[in-house]
Amino acid sequence: MTSLPWVGRGSGRRRDKSLIAIAGDTSELPERDVMISSSLAVVALIVIWFLTQVLVLGSLEHERAQDRLYAELRQDLAAGTAPTGGIIAPGRPVALFEMNDLGLGEVVVEGTSAGQTIGGPGHRRDTVLPGQAGICVVYARSTTFGGPFDAMVSDAIGKNLTVVTGQGRSTYRIEGVRRPGDPAPAPPAEGQGRLTLVTSEGSGPLAALRPGQVVYVEASLQSKAHPSGGQRVNTISASENAMKGDRSVLPMLALVLGGLLVALVGSLLARERFGSVIAWTVGIPIIATLAWFAADLAVYLLPNIV
Amino acid sequence: MRRLRVLVLGLVGLAIASSLSSSGVVAAPDDVGAFLQTKSLTREFVSTDSTETIDRRNVTVAVDHTKNLRGRERVSVSWTGAHPSGGRAVNPFGENGLDQEYPVVIMQCRGRDDVSLPPAQRLRPETCWTSTVQQRSQRSTPDGSAVWRADARAKDEDTGPLSGVVSLPKACGSTADGFSDRVTTFVPRKGSTFTSCNEESMAPEAAVDASFPPAETAAYTGRDGKGSASFEVRSSIENESLGCDASTACSIVVIPIMGISCEQTSSRVLNQNCRKTGRFEPGSSNFDGQGVDDAVSSRYWWSASNWENRFSVPITFGPAPNVCDVLDDRTPFGVYGSELMTQATLQWAPAYCLRKDRFRFQHNVLPDNASFDLMQQDEVPGAFVTSRKNRPGAGPTEYAPTAVTGFAISYVIDKPDNAGDYGRLRLNARLLAKLLTQSYPASDLGLQHPGLSKNPFSINQDPEFKALNPGLDTRAREASAVLMSLSESSDVIAAITRYIKGDPEASAFMAGTADPWGMRINPSYRGLRLPRSEWPLLDTFRPKVSQDCFAENNDTPYLSRLAAPVTAFSKISEALLDAWPFAQTKCTGQGNAQFPYVLGRGDRQGVGSRMILGVTTIGDAARYDLRTAALQTTTVKPGKRFADATGRVFVGPTDASLASAVRAARPTGRGQPFDLSMDRLRTRQTAYPGTLVVYTAAKTSGLDRATARTMGRFIQIATTEGQRRGSGNGFLPEGYLPLRKTGPTAALFASAQQVAVDVAAQVGQKPDGGGAGGGAGGGAGSGDAGGDLPDNAPDDEAPGTGGPTDQDPRLQSMGETSSLSTFLGGWGVPILLLVAIGCGLAAPVTRILAARRALR
Repeated sequence: MTSLPWVGRGSGRRRDKSLIAIAGDTSELPERDVMISSSLAVVALIVIWFLTQVLVLGSLEHERAQDRLYAELRQDLAAGTAPTGGIIAPGRPVALFEMNDLGLGEVVVEGTSAGQTIGGPGHRRDTVLPGQAGICVVYARSTTFGGPFDAMVSDAIGKNLTVVTGQGRSTYRIEGVRRPGDPAPAPPAEGQGRLTLVTSEGSGPLAALRPGQVVYVEASLQSKAHPSGGQRVNTISASENAMKGDRSVLPMLALVLGGLLVALVGSLLARERFGSVIAWTVGIPIIATLAWFAADLAVYLLPNIV
Repeated sequence: MRRLRVLVLGLVGLAIASSLSSSGVVAAPDDVGAFLQTKSLTREFVSTDSTETIDRRNVTVAVDHTKNLRGRERVSVSWTGAHPSGGRAVNPFGENGLDQEYPVVIMQCRGRDDVSLPPAQRLRPETCWTSTVQQRSQRSTPDGSAVWRADARAKDEDTGPLSGVVSLPKACGSTADGFSDRVTTFVPRKGSTFTSCNEESMAPEAAVDASFPPAETAAYTGRDGKGSASFEVRSSIENESLGCDASTACSIVVIPIMGISCEQTSSRVLNQNCRKTGRFEPGSSNFDGQGVDDAVSSRYWWSASNWENRFSVPITFGPAPNVCDVLDDRTPFGVYGSELMTQATLQWAPAYCLRKDRFRFQHNVLPDNASFDLMQQDEVPGAFVTSRKNRPGAGPTEYAPTAVTGFAISYVIDKPDNAGDYGRLRLNARLLAKLLTQSYPASDLGLQHPGLSKNPFSINQDPEFKALNPGLDTRAREASAVLMSLSESSDVIAAITRYIKGDPEASAFMAGTADPWGMRINPSYRGLRLPRSEWPLLDTFRPKVSQDCFAENNDTPYLSRLAAPVTAFSKISEALLDAWPFAQTKCTGQGNAQFPYVLGRGDRQGVGSRMILGVTTIGDAARYDLRTAALQTTTVKPGKRFADATGRVFVGPTDASLASAVRAARPTGRGQPFDLSMDRLRTRQTAYPGTLVVYTAAKTSGLDRATARTMGRFIQIATTEGQRRGSGNGFLPEGYLPLRKTGPTAALFASAQQVAVDVAAQVGQKPDGGGAGGGAGGGAGSGDAGGDLPDNAPDDEAPGTGGPTDQDPRLQSMGETSSLSTFLGGWGVPILLLVAIGCGLAAPVTRILAARRALR
């Protein structure tokens, strides 16, 4: 632990050194203080890493996933194999949402658990697909991993949302934002479609960083509804509901954290033997990958639409 | 109520009863057919040269009502002057009642005792219903014990070695020398005779563990010669073989057993057996089913001596519940809503549908709130509700008082030591709260529940209950740890929870304060907001179990399994009739793949040790002659122990207590529900706290002409003609306080007439904006919002905002959007940021501090 690079190592013992210099020289300080200081530093580092990944690097990950999903959906649409109903494997792209006014273009994936909403907005599996008659529900994040629906709550009312699915193009009009206490809408009439976009928002100070409350954006289908293609699943797991995390990744997270520990200890041992340069050159990519992976998995445990 | 009426009617007759209620609006009450008859019964021993009368008694039998009975209705039978019974059985029903001496047999028979009728329509033992073969036929009785063969009053053909049938059918086996056989066949209404010589040849309804427990009983006479019993009649719906209905005349036969009158036979043993007079002391019990002297038991009720002593009470059945469906093909005029009305509307409906100049009124039971919403959306013309419903966007609506009734806490409790059933149950709000919150652990399984380990197992072990109801047993039963209640939303639940909230002792208990004896509320329910229209099942505790059966079925929390609420009060009433708890704790199956362990509804409670409580309507309680608890009407400061009911007033549901409650009601505006809140009820100690006024709510604007006029007529007829007491079509049954022009209900009556006019004329203002059905909401939209009601108000405010919203009209209100938030989402990032900043700053600071120490 004391070997982290920025902590540094002093060269000799000099009485006339400055305070800062002594502070930088661990050899002159009591071991207990060095331990506490270093531990705090490590905690700060881990937290900052996590925040950076979720808030900053996450959007990179989201963009990359969108690129991949867009390509996949494009291919499906071209080949006419895009899903139109029935039981669809979670994670598969099902629709493209476009709002030119907001600069929004998002590929919607099937499934709403925390893992799926990292890549893009997730379509709830027990509702009809976008563009079809009935109620379609889509969950998306507002703050982390690019926050695809952030602008939806504030700026979208009255604008049109274009949806492309395997059944063609549909247009929805964003009708309004629904918050707790507002009247719930009546079910759509026979042959009509409604899209409910579910995301989160915060309130009070630091609202932008506190997306703790569910908010619903209601849109009504303007174009002709497509027929629904086949029986949807009629039950979903608890982790696919709004504001739920996905605990099923806990074993995986434990493995990855274990791997991280092994990689760290291995790097330290390697440094004793081969020297810093070689050890860190080999070790840092492995550690960074595992850390990224661990942070991702930790995100699975957090609510799926923040 | 009935019990009192029997005495009144029996002593002074119907004339007084009708003059009492002559203040009625329309006409005198309907004749319910009270029965009263006295007979002189004798037992004689005939010898070759003389006849010795060894017993003579004047027995009087009274039955409170006999007309227009419905399936499973219970009538109250009472008698005086009978021979005191001995060797009392714990369970007097069916074959269990045979081993008693001098009981009074009560059974239901098809036909009438009328010599002017053709023989096929007369009653005889062959048309009397029994549930078991032992009650009908005697097979291979040793000649010396066949006392019916020594019956002095029997015809010759009935004293032979085989009687009842000319020859035994093959399926019945054969006769043997030295043994006597008697077969009492059963003649069904339709089809061929059931031989009834063994279980296989009985009528199909007489199966062991049949869907209805035996109704025929061998009831008990006290040392003073008096006795009484509630007798349950069966219509052709419950018992098709017996086949009693509106067109088939039937009777209740009451046979006070005097003992068989004996003649001198050649057999000394038989003569001795026939002349026995009982081996049990009057008033004694026969707990272990020892043999009794058959000559004075109910075993040979069909033998001429016993049969001639019968009182036959002619009864008539009301029209079948489906009479309107069968005889009237007009479109039903449906009023939806409260189950409190079912017993009244059962009698009202034929008075509408069977008349060409009226319409086909139909009452469909639905939760109050849902019915009101349907009415607002013009799906149905009217709704039965018991309080004002403030729904967003509701159109102008008026409420016509239609019935004064309420809820009852009904129960079946047997006194210990076979002393009969208990009829004076007193409950307070805290006891109800304890039952509803599942705070009694019920068994060792529940005892594992955190927070319940110090609580009594069930209500009868609770010192508070014992103080109010001394002398009951203290056996722990799962069924007496809970109150059978409703799973659905209902104004009745709202009323019960208002009663609990309005009581200082109960509300302190709900808030978590222990009662003076240390019993605490189930933590799952602590601080539950009351009142609410739906009682939630909040307990999630799953006990650790060793039994395989429970372990495999441990997915439902144990206490919720016990509570097992149902969807209708009628189911609770029937469960009380059968003493059959809903608790789902009986294990069946073998634990293998083919017969997995299943937990299901438990057994019926044994007569003699029953203890079961449930919420019913007062109408049901009156129809089925259920015992109803008196509820505390006074409030006491919490915190003090008490050893008896001193200083507390308890009131049961009677006409007087309902009337007293209605006197406390205050009008709140033209056509609006009366204020009958707990605060108002508490102003009168004699007012029954469960009183509810059922209103017919209808719109006064927006109805089409024909519907409006029909609705107005319905209200007008129901509140005048429909308020006559009686059991016939169109009359008001027991359990409802009639509305009258004068007396305590005068204000309600006037309001009802006013609303009838207003609805028929559609006097209401058009709603703002003129939107048809605009924004009428329902609780159906969001489950999370259901249940909570505002404090202490007579009204039931709808969730959500009242006024119109600026939402798109297409976003029609369906109740409110529920709040869903997470702590992680709300505070995760700020906390992590704080940690990062904190740790990031603390790391160098600690090091610099350490360096400064090192410098010194």
